[in-house]
Amino acid sequence: MSSGPYNYSYIFKYIIIGDMGVGKSCLLHQFTEKKFMADCPHTIGVEFGTRIIEVSGQKIKLQIWDTAGQERFRAVTRSYYRGAAGALIIYDITRRSTYNHLSSWLTDARNLTNPNTVIFLIGNKSDLDAQRDVTYDEAKKFADENGLKFVEASAKTGENVEEAFLETAKKIYESIQDGSLDLNAAESGVQKKPTANGARTLSSENAEGRNPSSCSC
Amino acid sequence: MEVLTDFVTDDYLREFEVKYNDEIANSNGKPNDETVFQYAWCLTRSRLLSDVKKGVMFLEQLLASCKTDQAHKRDYLYYLAVGYTRMKDFTVARKYIKSLLQLEPGNRQAQELEKAIKSEMETEALKGAAMAGGGLLAAGALVALGMALLKKK
Repeated sequence: MSSGPYNYSYIFKYIIIGDMGVGKSCLLHQFTEKKFMADCPHTIGVEFGTRIIEVSGQKIKLQIWDTAGQERFRAVTRSYYRGAAGALIIYDITRRSTYNHLSSWLTDARNLTNPNTVIFLIGNKSDLDAQRDVTYDEAKKFADENGLKFVEASAKTGENVEEAFLETAKKIYESIQDGSLDLNAAESGVQKKPTANGARTLSSENAEGRNPSSCSC
Repeated sequence: MEVLTDFVTDDYLREFEVKYNDEIANSNGKPNDETVFQYAWCLTRSRLLSDVKKGVMFLEQLLASCKTDQAHKRDYLYYLAVGYTRMKDFTVARKYIKSLLQLEPGNRQAQELEKAIKSEMETEALKGAAMAGGGLLAAGALVALGMALLKKK
């Protein structure tokens, strides 16, 4: 637990979902630690990661729930979707089956989050182009038809990883600015800190204190 | 660590409770292991201590009957460690996380949980020491008061 001063204006909740082995935890790890984890075991249940980013001069803390892709966890990991402001759906560009299951993940994401939740599609393992099983154009078309943002990324090289997480935050922030996202709604997935401009430094206790109140809803 | 502090909402807890009860009613009292695990996992995320206790009881039963399947074993061990930490029974929590680390020494999730249990344990010990210290002070004050009263006589 780090004890440095925290100042950020908003907390956004994200979820990462998708089939087993597509690299969800590796993408999260690359984003939070800027490192690639080789040989990462299957996630047990859920994992949590956090990072503070900046969008339009505002500091935003991302609270990211990374879910296990194994089928037997799926019923319970659904209970983490509620109140997510951003949902990253991941598939593996070298395994078509993981792409074919996207509509089922998308249905879950749509049904269990709110209409303002930003859904971002990520085709992971773009470094393995030689083994590609799903073309960029095909996935892009799917994303467009379903109103999703889309990039191909690589948790290994870091390509587009930062972009995907930041773009999602940017879209959420836009919804706040144009008023379409109601911050008072219990399930908006966004919390505003009382110090809007971060002028006052929050103590780590305040910042880290009881964030379950934001996660449990 | 968020896995130790997040709570399940009542509707989800109820959903898995209903599923569990249905299976007991419809399958000669023997629910599917997966259903039991899902219910147990939700119970360990409850705000109620009695639920968490029930959850670890289920997980212990699952673990006892799980002889070969390593993948399931790691899930049970992990959530047993989480449950016992939430119950502040750190000795048992550490026993389970150690078993998991024996199974998978390089598992980062398990390593992080072990660290979190340790730090939680230290926090509780400090709190305990503070309370014991407070108790000693109070006792000292009483003695002083008593002596003062005696002197007055």
